[in-house]
Amino acid sequence: MNDALFAQLSTLGSSLALLFGITLLWRRSLSAYISAFRWQSAALSALLVAIGYLGDDPELYFVAIFFAALKVIALPYYLTRMEKQLGGERESQPYVNVATSLILSGLLVLLAYAVTRPLVIVSTLPTRGGLPLAVGLIFVGLFVVVTRKKALTQIVGFLVLENGIALLAALATFGIPLIVELGVFLDVLMGFLVMQVFVYHIHGTFESIDVDQLSELRY
Amino acid sequence: MIISYLLVLFKILLALLLAPGLVGYVRWLKARLQNRRGAPPWLPYYELSKLFGKEVVMSNNASWLFRVAPYIVFASAVAVTLLIPLIATDMPFDRVGDLLLVVYLLLLGTFFLALAGLDPGTAFGGMGASREMTVAAIAEPTIALAIFGLALGAGSTNLGRIVSATLAEPGVAISPGHLLAFVALFIVTLAETGRLPVDNPATHLELTMIHEAMVLEYSGRYLALIEWASWLKLLIFFALLANLFVPWGLAASHSPAALALGVIALVVKLAVLGAVVAIAETRVAKLRLFRVPELLSVSFVLALLAVTSSFLLK
Repeated sequence: MNDALFAQLSTLGSSLALLFGITLLWRRSLSAYISAFRWQSAALSALLVAIGYLGDDPELYFVAIFFAALKVIALPYYLTRMEKQLGGERESQPYVNVATSLILSGLLVLLAYAVTRPLVIVSTLPTRGGLPLAVGLIFVGLFVVVTRKKALTQIVGFLVLENGIALLAALATFGIPLIVELGVFLDVLMGFLVMQVFVYHIHGTFESIDVDQLSELRY
Repeated sequence: MIISYLLVLFKILLALLLAPGLVGYVRWLKARLQNRRGAPPWLPYYELSKLFGKEVVMSNNASWLFRVAPYIVFASAVAVTLLIPLIATDMPFDRVGDLLLVVYLLLLGTFFLALAGLDPGTAFGGMGASREMTVAAIAEPTIALAIFGLALGAGSTNLGRIVSATLAEPGVAISPGHLLAFVALFIVTLAETGRLPVDNPATHLELTMIHEAMVLEYSGRYLALIEWASWLKLLIFFALLANLFVPWGLAASHSPAALALGVIALVVKLAVLGAVVAIAETRVAKLRLFRVPELLSVSFVLALLAVTSSFLLK
């Protein structure tokens, strides 16, 4: 019974995370991207707590707390501040239009199901149902990074990708050792700060955060 | 045998009677949420009786199609009501048709409404018809896919069988397939019944209207039938959302007590869904017409994922 509940909860949490990842593709304004990311991270930290409780691994509680502090509070706060400073630009013309990118993300999740199929079949973990969704979330995050033009939406895409990796790690191993998790969080934070510096420089030079303009020699 | 057919008759009458009340309730609740006093929830009943009493005015250009369409639209909505689980499981018409029939009966009504919109040759009618078809072209496969997601879990496309499968195994109600399918079907419900992010139900003259544009030429009892059918459609979608995903409360036996409980459960579920829709409509603004297909492709993708996850995680 406990295993069945565990399986249900983990797939439910993973599909919620994927749901927010997909709504991200539909939205245009940067603040909508940020709030979708925030909700996704909140769903993931709740899932981490659930995995910690049902998988009997108290370390995951700490991971969940760090996760929530970093990705529900700190990063969205900085993102919102950046968005305000850079002026509310919208992701109005992504490289792939919205309807197509939604269909493509659906296909990407199908692909994730296909590539994780052998793994899911041999796995005996109660959380195996969520594995394809986590891989799908990674694909969707990568898709956001490559198809969106604004530097800020690309950062959000990167963070979604990272969320997918964290989800996959939590589902597949029930928590990597705490020290490794902390290292990963620090990495994300550093990566984010570096990107923030880049975004400010791009904005300072081009007066826009549209990375499309970077390919032109003169502006 | 006779009793169960009487029960079917009762089910249809109940749906027909509840539908105007449901729409009135949503309108009233929405008005209250927006700090308006609002018309009383039973206003649609008066609207219907008024419209049935009025004479029919028709354009000279209108053909027989224009006159037949309201009956087809109304009859297809009533026929769908026969097939969906409303107050009890195991009804005699459960075995007549499955979800494919439901989807295509709904589409039949939409199709004839669009034809009737085109028939008198007015500008608004044609615009409304083409928009309605744009919406329907993406919405209908999404309904089919979303319910397929449930059907795969239950092993049957029969709506009654899907309900009893969920009742037998309550855990599947929170499986990802069900969750994604619910969100997909909810978005489609808003689109198909002309609710806010897609179409504004409160307006009669707006360039972007969809449903109202098609029925602009209708009057009298024809208008009454079409309006009644569209209200019934709202009830049908709500009932599908409520009873396929949260089937508890449906009467399992045909005893009077169980049926009374089934009716109460239905009314409660409709009230809850109506409140959700009213709150959602208060919070969102109408989408630009060109973004509607994007919203619908969100729901299509979700339905696709629902089918995938219930297929692969069986």
